Amino acid sequence: KSISGVSSGCQQGGCLTCSDYNGCLSCKPRFFMHLKRIGMKQIGVCMTSCPPGFYGTRSPERNTCTKCRSECDSCFDKNFCTRCRAGFYLHLGKCQESCPDSMVHNDTQRECVLS
Amino acid sequence: KIQDGEGPEAPSCPFHCHCEEDGIFLTVDCSEIGLSSVPSNLSPFTTYLDLSMNNISEIQPRAFHHLHLLSELRISGNQLRYISGQALQGLHNLRVLMLQNNQLERLPDDAPWDLPNLLSLRLDANLLSDVPSEAFEGVRSLRHLWLDDNSLTEIPVMALDSLPSLQAMTLALNQITHIPDYAFANLSALVVLHLHNNHIQSMGSRCFEGLQSLETLDLNYNDLQEFPVAVRTLSKLQELGFHNNNIKAIPERAFVGNPQLQTIHFYENPIQFVGKSAFQFLPKLHTLSLNGATQIQEFPDLKGTTSLEILTLTRAGLSALPLDLCEQLPRLRVLELSHNQIEDLPSFYHCSALQEIGLQHNKIRRIESSTFQQLTSLKALDLSWNVLESIHPDAFVSLHSLIKLDLSENRLSSVPVAGLGGLTHLKLRGNTFLYEAFGPDHFPHMRVIEMPYAYQCCVYASCDSYKPAGSWDTEQSNAHEDLQKRTVAVYQIHADAQYDPYLEDFQLEIEESKLQSSVQCTPTPGPFRPCDSLLG
Repeated sequence: KSISGVSSGCQQGGCLTCSDYNGCLSCKPRFFMHLKRIGMKQIGVCMTSCPPGFYGTRSPERNTCTKCRSECDSCFDKNFCTRCRAGFYLHLGKCQESCPDSMVHNDTQRECVLS
Repeated sequence: KIQDGEGPEAPSCPFHCHCEEDGIFLTVDCSEIGLSSVPSNLSPFTTYLDLSMNNISEIQPRAFHHLHLLSELRISGNQLRYISGQALQGLHNLRVLMLQNNQLERLPDDAPWDLPNLLSLRLDANLLSDVPSEAFEGVRSLRHLWLDDNSLTEIPVMALDSLPSLQAMTLALNQITHIPDYAFANLSALVVLHLHNNHIQSMGSRCFEGLQSLETLDLNYNDLQEFPVAVRTLSKLQELGFHNNNIKAIPERAFVGNPQLQTIHFYENPIQFVGKSAFQFLPKLHTLSLNGATQIQEFPDLKGTTSLEILTLTRAGLSALPLDLCEQLPRLRVLELSHNQIEDLPSFYHCSALQEIGLQHNKIRRIESSTFQQLTSLKALDLSWNVLESIHPDAFVSLHSLIKLDLSENRLSSVPVAGLGGLTHLKLRGNTFLYEAFGPDHFPHMRVIEMPYAYQCCVYASCDSYKPAGSWDTEQSNAHEDLQKRTVAVYQIHADAQYDPYLEDFQLEIEESKLQSSVQCTPTPGPFRPCDSLLG
């Protein structure tokens, strides 16, 4: 159990159907289905929020986790980052290697801040 | 250093939780351990606390009052119905609060949450039917707000007024039916707004006033009856989606206020009419697809939309294409115009980046030498289901990259092969006046070829295997003979030997594999489709 809001195998709270080998096959309503890779295997995991590096999209049929852009550690959707990877700085949802004029980068938060 | 809330030496790690020390700070994971209340012995040095997926139905007042250093609090996946202002007192440095997947029915209005540094608030997948005006007065620094998958029937306009720093918000999967004017007037920093999967039927023409930073607007899966003209004020808009609505027309100059648009998704709308100037002056638009807009009689004027790479305009009423089409669209890569009434083609000479052209199901009569001249990147050309009678001998000479050509179902009596040496797929089926047999030497890379007649496939396989011995020539084959008898007739060499059906199947497979390994030519010659042309 290393990702928040989830437990592995068939005892997960969010699982609707599952198998011991593949983990969750389907989730209860309002849970996100994520395929967690463990070595060569993929385990179905049902979560209340997608793991770091993924964002969740809710829809009437299912709730899915999708990978953020490569320069984002976490994101709101495919166009909007909420935290950047090391070496990038966040400004209005974009992760850039440098900040706009009149702004400097804050290395702890990895953000552009007013100078 | 890792602790588990078991031993005496870990007073600051609550029972059954999993704690990790990072210097003096502590991350505490108490997720999914069956808790019914917030642990009481939490260390004041806790910076991350995960209480998700438990059975907590209530947060006692001052449960977190001493956690001044807490940065992230996760209480998702519990049974919380209400969280008072006092419950979250003391969380001065909280940046992330996750409350999704609970049963929250209302937010505090009298004493709102006081979280001055909160950046991300997740309230999605709850039971909120409205948001009190004062609900967000204590979270003014908020940047990311999730309110999707609730029961909201209106945009919480007053509550949103308290969030001048908001940059990303989703109100998707609610029951909102209307967006009033000035609904987001104070959200000048908002970059992303998701409103998909609501029941939005109407919008004030000034409903998006104030959203001068908005780049992404998602109105998909609603009940919009008319084109959302309110988008006109969104000068920074880059991505707009309103697919799966009920919009019948796109007006003239529809996107005149959105010069930054790169992507517009509006499929699955009963669009019948598109203003000729609707898609003008969109220099960053790279894809435009329109299907089934039957009232479009004229090709849209795409002046100033110079970056278009993919243009799909199918099942409309186009009868002609502008002569300067390629001057307007020099970067076009894919042109899909099937199912129209097009008769004549301009020269695509200036569309040098074209890789795919789909013109099937039109009324094209002939191809000139200049039509596809200099399209050196063209890979696939579909001209099937037209009324082609002639193709200029030099029509294909410069198509060095062409690998797929579909000319089926036309009226051709000849096909120029100059320039077609690179083809791997050629379809000529349905050209009933085309008798010529094109030999493999024309198409050294051919893999799949469809011809009007079976005998035209014999050049791709040794016809002897289908040439029966004497008995075949004399005997008039009867379409109703059983398989056993016909097989013997075809393979005369087995006639006198002990007939073994399994050996037969094995041999048939060998014959077929000999054909498949080289070129798959159809219709395949066979007993009823002999190699000699019956027509002499």
